[in-house]
Amino acid sequence: MSGVVAPPVDLGVGIGWRPDIAGFVAGLPGLRFTEVIAESVHAAHPADELLALRDRGTRIIPHGVRLSLGGAEPVTVDRVSHLAECAELLDAPLVSEHIAFVRAGGIEAGHLLPVPRTRAALDVLTDNIRRTCAELPVPLAVEPIATLFDWPDQDYDEAGFLTEVLARTDALLLLDVANVYANARNRGEDPLDLLDSLPLERVAYVHVAGGSERDGLYHDTHTDPVPNEVLALVSELCARRDPPGLLLERDGRYPPAGELRAELDAIADAAGLPHVT
Amino acid sequence: MTVTTPDPVPDPPLTAREELAAAQERLVRALVAGDEPPPGFDPARIAVAARALLNKRAGEVARAWPRLAAAHGARWPAAFADWAAGTPSRGAWLDGWGFARSRRAHLPPAAAAELAGCEAHWSYRPDGPPRRRRVAVGRLPGGVIVQVLGRAVVVRPRRSQLPR
Repeated sequence: MSGVVAPPVDLGVGIGWRPDIAGFVAGLPGLRFTEVIAESVHAAHPADELLALRDRGTRIIPHGVRLSLGGAEPVTVDRVSHLAECAELLDAPLVSEHIAFVRAGGIEAGHLLPVPRTRAALDVLTDNIRRTCAELPVPLAVEPIATLFDWPDQDYDEAGFLTEVLARTDALLLLDVANVYANARNRGEDPLDLLDSLPLERVAYVHVAGGSERDGLYHDTHTDPVPNEVLALVSELCARRDPPGLLLERDGRYPPAGELRAELDAIADAAGLPHVT
Repeated sequence: MTVTTPDPVPDPPLTAREELAAAQERLVRALVAGDEPPPGFDPARIAVAARALLNKRAGEVARAWPRLAAAHGARWPAAFADWAAGTPSRGAWLDGWGFARSRRAHLPPAAAAELAGCEAHWSYRPDGPPRRRRVAVGRLPGGVIVQVLGRAVVVRPRRSQLPR
């Protein structure tokens, strides 16, 4: 399994598709890939704008947020089936989810929560990833999340835990450089240490997003501009190994189109890629 | 040789998966249900994370109840967070509905009409999913809303005819 390498594709720079910016996304002349929140896709009535993107050859990656791969309960058949359905419907090259849990004891947390980096959690996560991969028609990429706190008494550091997850499964890595930045900053660590320790040949694509500081911590909000430090991390990553694609995640408080285009151009410049705007 | 076991029989030890499930539930309860943070976690960071979750919920409720949120302007996230703190989410629609019900007497006209429009079709239940109403008549600012078999009509009498 450790021989898995991300397929050599050239996706360039993309942006996450959201209904509020569907027109902006459709109007990007050089766009070759996008991402859609899987839970927002109604398989029987998908948005026309999404199908239009698919039909013009834009690669669309369904991105799940509620599967709870790191939850102690096994992933449910209906949630995995929905991901598979999205992949078929959108002719997706892969689907992605998070190394996180979102509910426990029947209570929804409302967002992605960190999994304890313990042997027990690693076993559960591995089991859930294998179950999911077995039902998907395409590869699965898993994304390490940004977290404002850590579990006590962990067996692994982040790089060790991620490397072990990838070694035990066929999953690819969705590397979010904004999450890498946020965690390193909030833990007082150097983000480059993580980049230097991860199996970068497993990276399927990369997330880039904005955030802001509040209550003394950096929050990965997806509603603020991308800080220069995150763009610098894009350059650092590309200096080590060019990822197949980089995608901007923006989830609200949308700026004027000009600002969003400038942000996409800044990501392309940081990665040494052509502008898609 | 027989060994007598003492009564009562002790519970079997938890499996690693069960222990993880219990630990995850304790953490989620600390973040959204107002429980104390489990031992070993940084309480200040758990408090910041709990607040961030409430802000995210406020944003989702604002999308489901735009007039309700607009009625509170920039104070919306704080107003919603104060009401929702310690209570796990039931989903954006029900969260917003519950909040609107708690402020019923103080809602400005647009938000009151939004609530009336919802309640013309659905009947709120605190412990379960809402029930669809077949027929309903409700008051809203400047008139009434009448719903029969899924079709709702707002009736606004001319000012001179407004019932007092």
